Amino acid sequence: MKFYKIKNTFLLAALAMGAQLVGACKKELNVNTQGRFTTDTYYKTPADAFAALVSVYDRFGFQTGGLYDKLSIMDVAGDDQLAGGGSATDINDLQVTQTYTLSSTSGPEGYLWSRGYSGIYRANVLLSKIDGCGLDAATKARYIAEVKAMRGAFYFDLVTFFKAIPLITGILPIDSLYNVTQVAPADVYAYVEKDLNDAIPVLPHTVNITTEGGRLTQGGAKAILGKVLLYEKKWQAAADMLHDVNGDNPGVTPSMYGYSLLPNYGDLWLSKNKFNSESVVEFVHSSLSNGSWSDAGASEGNLVCITTGPRGYSQLKTAAPDYFSGYSFLVFTKDFAENVMYGDPRYTATVANLDSLKTAGAASYTAGYNNTGYFLGKFIGRVSDKAANTPELNFGQDEYEIRLADTYLMEAEALMNAGADVSAGSRAYQLFNAVRARVGLAPIAVTQDNLEKERRLEFAGEGLRWPDLVRWGKAATVLASRGFVAGKNEIFPIPQSELNNTKLEQTKEWGGTK
Amino acid sequence: MKRKFLLRIRVLLFFTLLFFTAHAQNRTVTGVVLSKVSGQPLVGATVSAKGTRTAVSTDNQGKFQISVPSTAKMLVISYVGMASQEVGIPASGTVTISLDQTASSKMDEVVVVGYGTQRKSVVTGAISSVRASDLENQPVIRVEQALQGRTSGLTISAVSGQPGSSSTVRLRGFTSFGNGKNDPLWVIDGVIVDAGGIGYLNDDDIESIEVLKDGASAAIYGTRAAAGVILITTKKGKAGALRINYNGYYGTQAPSKKLSLMNAEQYATTRNNANAAVGSAPVFTDPSSLGKGTDWQKDIFNYHAPKTNHELSISGGNDKATWFTSFGYTDFQGVVATSISRYKRLNYRINTNFKPAKWISFGENLGYEHGKTNGVGDVNREFGGVISSAINLDPVTPAIITDTAAQKIFMPQTAAQIAAATRTPGGQYYGISPYVGQEMKNPLAYIQNHLGNFNWDNNIVGNAYVDLTPIKGLVIHSSLGTKMAFYGYESFTPVAFYNTSTTINQSNLTRNETWVINWNVENTISYNRVFNRHNITLLGGWGEYKDGNARGATVSYNNIPAKTFDQASFIYSALPADRQNSSGSDGTDHRINSLFSRLQYNYDEKYLLTALIRRDGSSRFGTNNKFGYFPSVSVGWVPTLESFFPQTNVVNNLKIRASYGVTGNDGIGDFAFVPTVGANGERNYSFGTSGAVNIGYSPNAPANPNLKWEQTSQLDFGFDAVLLKALTFTVDVYKKKTTGILQTPQIPSYAGYGSFAQNFDDIENKGIEFELGYRKKLGELTLGVNGNISFYQNKVTKMLPGTTYFEDNSATFQTMGNITRTAINEPYQRFFGYQSLGIFQTQADIDNYVGPDKTTKLQPTAKPGDLKIANLQNDNNIDANDRTYLGNPNPTMSYGITINLSYKNFDFVAFGSGSGGNQIFQGLRRLDINTANYLTKYLDAWTPTNTGASLPRIALADPGKSYSRFTSLYLESGNYFKLRTLQLGYNLPKSMLTKWGCQRLRVYVLSENLFTVTKYSGYDPEIGVSPDAGGGAQFGIDKGLYVPARTFLVGLSLGF
Repeated sequence: MKFYKIKNTFLLAALAMGAQLVGACKKELNVNTQGRFTTDTYYKTPADAFAALVSVYDRFGFQTGGLYDKLSIMDVAGDDQLAGGGSATDINDLQVTQTYTLSSTSGPEGYLWSRGYSGIYRANVLLSKIDGCGLDAATKARYIAEVKAMRGAFYFDLVTFFKAIPLITGILPIDSLYNVTQVAPADVYAYVEKDLNDAIPVLPHTVNITTEGGRLTQGGAKAILGKVLLYEKKWQAAADMLHDVNGDNPGVTPSMYGYSLLPNYGDLWLSKNKFNSESVVEFVHSSLSNGSWSDAGASEGNLVCITTGPRGYSQLKTAAPDYFSGYSFLVFTKDFAENVMYGDPRYTATVANLDSLKTAGAASYTAGYNNTGYFLGKFIGRVSDKAANTPELNFGQDEYEIRLADTYLMEAEALMNAGADVSAGSRAYQLFNAVRARVGLAPIAVTQDNLEKERRLEFAGEGLRWPDLVRWGKAATVLASRGFVAGKNEIFPIPQSELNNTKLEQTKEWGGTK
Repeated sequence: MKRKFLLRIRVLLFFTLLFFTAHAQNRTVTGVVLSKVSGQPLVGATVSAKGTRTAVSTDNQGKFQISVPSTAKMLVISYVGMASQEVGIPASGTVTISLDQTASSKMDEVVVVGYGTQRKSVVTGAISSVRASDLENQPVIRVEQALQGRTSGLTISAVSGQPGSSSTVRLRGFTSFGNGKNDPLWVIDGVIVDAGGIGYLNDDDIESIEVLKDGASAAIYGTRAAAGVILITTKKGKAGALRINYNGYYGTQAPSKKLSLMNAEQYATTRNNANAAVGSAPVFTDPSSLGKGTDWQKDIFNYHAPKTNHELSISGGNDKATWFTSFGYTDFQGVVATSISRYKRLNYRINTNFKPAKWISFGENLGYEHGKTNGVGDVNREFGGVISSAINLDPVTPAIITDTAAQKIFMPQTAAQIAAATRTPGGQYYGISPYVGQEMKNPLAYIQNHLGNFNWDNNIVGNAYVDLTPIKGLVIHSSLGTKMAFYGYESFTPVAFYNTSTTINQSNLTRNETWVINWNVENTISYNRVFNRHNITLLGGWGEYKDGNARGATVSYNNIPAKTFDQASFIYSALPADRQNSSGSDGTDHRINSLFSRLQYNYDEKYLLTALIRRDGSSRFGTNNKFGYFPSVSVGWVPTLESFFPQTNVVNNLKIRASYGVTGNDGIGDFAFVPTVGANGERNYSFGTSGAVNIGYSPNAPANPNLKWEQTSQLDFGFDAVLLKALTFTVDVYKKKTTGILQTPQIPSYAGYGSFAQNFDDIENKGIEFELGYRKKLGELTLGVNGNISFYQNKVTKMLPGTTYFEDNSATFQTMGNITRTAINEPYQRFFGYQSLGIFQTQADIDNYVGPDKTTKLQPTAKPGDLKIANLQNDNNIDANDRTYLGNPNPTMSYGITINLSYKNFDFVAFGSGSGGNQIFQGLRRLDINTANYLTKYLDAWTPTNTGASLPRIALADPGKSYSRFTSLYLESGNYFKLRTLQLGYNLPKSMLTKWGCQRLRVYVLSENLFTVTKYSGYDPEIGVSPDAGGGAQFGIDKGLYVPARTFLVGLSLGF
């Protein structure tokens, strides 16, 4: 029987071991969250709050991995530029915008929509978590002001682009996800104004541009609010709001925030010339983010610099610019380059005339789709600015969301519409002609017509033409040949994916009920 | 749970003590087992004493010696492919048994059922088996291909014809959503191997494959088993003389099909016509001068791609130890772009078992594999793979520039471009198409630039185990299994100018190395007892599993001074730091632990019952739902054993089965139950002038703490019958329902947050399966036929609140966007697009096609020759809302048939399989490249003089949207039948062999994929789920498949 004893011992030992292991099982299932934070463990330190703030700014200057941004959409929607690219469907979202064949399932509306709402969500996250981050009162107040100003800007874009939108003011619980409804545009505007008004008194007048350039300032928020009021046609309020931004002596002395026009128009598009005195609200880009093709949208580089570059560009003589070969998007129409812009002092900085370079034997390039030979010189990436890694996605040139020439002209327009004096010597006249004087143009009268022409030339390729045409009520006429339909194309369709299974309804303009 | 487990242990201990005393005296029986047909001894036949677990194998003279209890009355002798036989034990203790081959043999096979084996005659679940003999000499190297067409219930489609590539396997339709969650669980000798990792296994090492199809059989694997379980047992050594087997073949492969594309003249004419259709000037002044032009397919196809395989196994042993060891070598070269398409594999296996005493045995099953793959890159993807380029590139551009006239047109123009252009080893330039650009590259230039790039992998998969049998009937089994994988790739891309939009500005050398060690520990106790015709087996077990912890590092150097892979090296480490990149990756541990117990019971093999329960815990769920319980029960009845059953020769054996089982799935990724905050991707921003990037953090998605197991319950009814002594017949019907499918559905963006994991949708599958076997001897001719056919239907029965359809995992096609959609109460993933009403013949047709307001023209921009699109919404425009369901990409029927003939020393096998019930999306042409080449079927496009055409007019940029909308124009029937194998073998006569000391020598010739019956116009109708093809989970999307090979080979099998 001894043999059986040994076997029994074996058996019992095995069973005991098994029972032990079973007891340990639940603990084994709690896997280390290595490298991951949760909303409960994060948002505990000032650094966490800063990272959350950064994530909101990311949406502010957001570009899609589909290689376009807000500026590109606005450019091709207007009358002066074509989508271009490699073919009729290259960056199709831009092509359908240019040809006015976009629909709720095909076009850039998904990007515009999600840029806004993800920015709003990130702002709401920070607002709900900021109390636990251990910030000092001043920093906390500043962060709150910055995210509110950005939330206001996001809602302003959304309401101008889509009209009837849901107003989400906190973090949407997952069980309410499908119960959201749209609100009247006036409610959104009221919310935008409130957010910006809350932010303005708290934001710093200026920031240290070396370390904080690009963060919102009081002047920036006022410029945004001034623009909002202008779009609302609250003329006097808009003029008042923009007054501080522009200062008491526009074109002569810097405003209280230090803003003044750059003496040389072309300097505005030098890659190194970040946060210059004309910059009011700026989208920051960097050549150091190592953006890659696996997610081009995550790059901090400026994608417009590569998309606007001429295809297959080669510099044959050193006299030719050192353009980085790109994808030939956002080209100017022949009519605009030759009949509208040509002869203006801003032409050289605005239009890159590749055909003349080619004819002179200074450079060569390959014609893209809808090639006109006239490229958007303000943004074409330069070889001398190229980044070390994946240079095409990592150009460091910034974009102006609002620059001082814009606030000058907006204030002048607001004053004119508010019935203020616009005669020579008036403030409106001074604002308007400061912009002209900077490029050596003689003063002219402040009229709607003159303002429209000035804005078209001053901001060519900067994404302001289309929203201007829409708010002036001129889009249907000017863009008729492109396929613009009055009462429809003033806004973008709400993306179909937002309507599927939700309580949202398409706008009347796009065949819906809202 | 601990208490329950201890209780179970007490019960087991009780039984243990109870039966200790049952041990009795033994006696020895000897004998020989012969084949009734040939009279030859049967080597490796199993001899056991009935009602005991004592069993031995016959040696190489067919002899055996077995020690049986004095109470034993009968011996049971079984041999694969032959009818088992029971003989009484004579007083002399010596017997001679002759076994006959019969169709009923299948009923007496032993099948692996998960944590044990069971005789097929008492199995109550729906389990299909494939034996080594079915797979021998098949020139497949992956087990999925080996299974294709062999059993009912499985739909298997190759993903690509690239050597070594995997296949999509679906068992009984769709169990869940997405790709991974529909892959069955692979268990090799008890070690769980993820679906992607199965490629390491050498097909020749497989002894048997069992497919656990019904829920009750699979439930023993609980949460891993919802999509079915495939158990693989590798070959083991047998006691007896040393056995050496060699099997090898060599053959040549050719592409099984070439597309009929337009030649240069046809292409130029078509393009001129397309321009004329929109009033543009012609592109080519004299198309007829262009002749045939370049045949890109011919340039990349290889009609003599070699395929080699060698396998050597050595096995043997005695009653204390057995061993099986094998070496395999495989070298398959691709039929497309052969110099960058190749798969080489080395295998080594050692399976040993030691049995130093009667109560203990231990050993290991261990496989090692080294693989090296050269891949062509993008396959089944329209963005620039060699195949897609060959289809889309114009035939006017020369492949290689040989004359100066061509240089002006087909060469880059600037100095920088010329410097970067790719040249042949002889210094000539590869032609660059001035017409077809974007991602389309001269495939020869691409091949030249990718020579040498490879992926590699080393896998060690196996387990070490110990079995203790302290008392009769009780087995304590403990196993430690692992899958260790080490893999990576090395690639070099030189500076290259393919065309103005595809230019590589700097060279790049990248090395990636990744390792992963998965392991599992399993301990089981089983107890078997027979008394008064009651046969009970109890099993209790515990297991713990870990996987998912892959760790990798990638280093890449940019801009190194090298032109080819061979020149490239990391020795260039003196490069400036900004040319050096590195990145790492960390997987997350995925852990599961399990408790399970099972009761198998039969009364006189007539009334059968299996019941089991498994509890699994997963690291992927929060405390609310960490554990899931998965019960199952199955019953069977063998009426032919009843005394009242009429003894006729019609029904020789019948078993009726019913089963119900619940299985689960935790396939949702890690940490979906907690609200993680992430830093990856689009969250960063730069402040200030330094360009330094600040890292942003924001939540990934909200928490769903109630996340839980998705559950699949399955009801199965079936029967197995032997009819007329020659026919085996199995039928199963099932209904499978998965509830609470885990998913991260698309949610409205206005929420601002990312999609979060939810349990919501339900899917239901119903199906019927038939397996038929026939075996008959007609004199010296033996005929065997095996066939199977399965049908299933599925529908999604529940969706998120308010949802009537979803487009998650939908396939996409270029500018069309999503082309599949899933609707409530309809099958998972159907094609969704516009309905065509034929071709407008006249302008009047267009003018008369108006909306309900009777004035608005629905297709105002259309011209005669354009497609008329149905206005399904009956409003005044044609838009996305007018789309409807056009077809099903997923096969709903699959079948296979094998015919075996043997006559004297000759044997012949024909094996074919097919599937159907689906459509294929034929998306070979790039829509956004107006200038891309066409299939010749487009020569029959509509023109004013060819009004009876089946295809709409071809006009530059397709202004009438005839081709740019997704209509049924793109869909073709997916039905096919393939003759996969045709084989003729000859066994050299024994008399000749004995001279050489050889047991067996067989030579054979074999053809693989000889023909395919199909109406499909692309390369091949067999198209598995290809993530490259856009979307996640559907079959049948063709964007330029890697053409499968047709093979002819000769082989030799040798046995000592």
